[in-house]
Amino acid sequence: MTPIACECRDLSVAYREDPVLRRVNFCVPTGSVMGIVGPNGAGKSTLIKAMLGLVTPLAGTSEFFGKPLDDVRNRVGYMPQSASVDWDFPTTVIDLAVMGTYGELGWFRRPGKAERARAMAALEQTGMQAYASRQIGELSGGQRQRAFLARALVQVPDLYFMDEPFQGIDAKSQQAMIDVLKDLSAQGKTIVIVHHHLGSVLDFCDHVTLLNKSIIASGPGEETFTKDNIRIAYEASDGAEAFLAEAG
Amino acid sequence: MSYVIGVILLAVITSLACALPGVFVVLRKNSMIVDGISHAVLPGIIVGFALTQDLNSPILILGAALAGLLVVLGNEWLSDTGLLAGDAPQGLIFPALFAAGIILVSMDLQHAHIDTNAVLVGDLNLAVFPALIVNGVNIGPEYLYVMLAVLAVNAAFIAVFYTRLKLTTFDRQFANVLGMRTRLLNTAFMFLVSMTVVAAFKAVGAILVISLLVVPAATAQLISKRLSVMMALTAVFAVAGALAGFWIAYVLNTGTSAAMAVFYGAMFVTVALTAKIATHIRRNRRSSKSTAAAISAPNVGAVAGE
Repeated sequence: MTPIACECRDLSVAYREDPVLRRVNFCVPTGSVMGIVGPNGAGKSTLIKAMLGLVTPLAGTSEFFGKPLDDVRNRVGYMPQSASVDWDFPTTVIDLAVMGTYGELGWFRRPGKAERARAMAALEQTGMQAYASRQIGELSGGQRQRAFLARALVQVPDLYFMDEPFQGIDAKSQQAMIDVLKDLSAQGKTIVIVHHHLGSVLDFCDHVTLLNKSIIASGPGEETFTKDNIRIAYEASDGAEAFLAEAG
Repeated sequence: MSYVIGVILLAVITSLACALPGVFVVLRKNSMIVDGISHAVLPGIIVGFALTQDLNSPILILGAALAGLLVVLGNEWLSDTGLLAGDAPQGLIFPALFAAGIILVSMDLQHAHIDTNAVLVGDLNLAVFPALIVNGVNIGPEYLYVMLAVLAVNAAFIAVFYTRLKLTTFDRQFANVLGMRTRLLNTAFMFLVSMTVVAAFKAVGAILVISLLVVPAATAQLISKRLSVMMALTAVFAVAGALAGFWIAYVLNTGTSAAMAVFYGAMFVTVALTAKIATHIRRNRRSSKSTAAAISAPNVGAVAGE
């Protein structure tokens, strides 16, 4: 049996009185690229936020490489939804990438030459080296996401969580990011990716979880990403119907 | 130390002590909470003054700062309960406390003689009294050393926690995933802001302290691409405003803090307009350059397309 990169048991989350996740059991095999798919408000982002402790769950536990998050933080990377930061913040692209090293700096050390070199290498990987000295607000949507991906790469984690990395980006950026994902996957890294575009899920995910407040199906893509499961998850919403009609 | 030098030094040190934490206040979009603190700590200051009879007393400053912090935390808690939407808790808590302070002032509590006007806008020219006398030598206003201590604490806190402050301000969730104690850092920082507001109260009053905290940083942000640059420019703007404010007040024979606040406002408008015009010119130049390039090399696109 493949070892488990991360899993959660009986995870339940509510915002105020509204339940968002109900007793979710979710596990990601090491080395897989797991897509989390579901309609708006299905709790996709909430699931990874609750696992990472960014949202306090009502109940349930999460483990990473068989341990609580606090023991293995340096092995876990996170790429938040890009809408969640202030783009007027005075920071350049290279500064942003250097932030990926902050977790290992400790109390008094400042990032130096070595950290900047690592950040630059990550920017090269995502094709962003030419923009290193730009203020982040001057970037296009796709460039922003590639800069954030570079920051996650700088951490050199074994497990990546990415929240809607392909939202609002151009085709060139999407291809650059998919190339990086395939690269990471080839190195044996595990990737958990929240995605909302049904048509492209199997382009880069080998595992799929269909979620709508609870897990509909989770496992290898060819077993779980079926018309029936999609229909259940999306409760026959328009987007899914269009996709299903197209898929035949 | 002469009176004039005392006032100038006090203006410079107070403006720096406020402006440094102001950088993070502006970036965290906390300006209005700080305005709230400056109002809400008033009853604490009045009661503290009635007890200690000394606005420079460290007990008064720390006590009132703690009260200010409680108000901030209470504000956050009230927002979390969802009883009130948006920033309504601020409108609910802060004016009520401020009004309570005003009533206490006018009640002449324990003969605490604080002028209502000084409560609102402070008075730098009077804040230089009493002078600190060591071995019979006047080494400047006692209050100057209070503000120097506040400046030192603020600078040290920012220096030690620089990367953490930067990351939690920019991307709190990412900082949490890295294992940073963002809530604790936030509470410590707000305590420092609260302490700064209370300490600066005597010089600039409850209404104008927000200007010293926010405007230099907001001005610096207009033209900074990096946080370290913004920190340095903020210090420059703060000092420039303090000196200019003092000079204006001296010439017009008016209050230094009010002149500083007016100068800060004018400085922001000037820098904002200059930055806007500069970007406009740069953009025009860039677009005319790219048009020129397109005319001189019309085949480049075609070749690349082949």
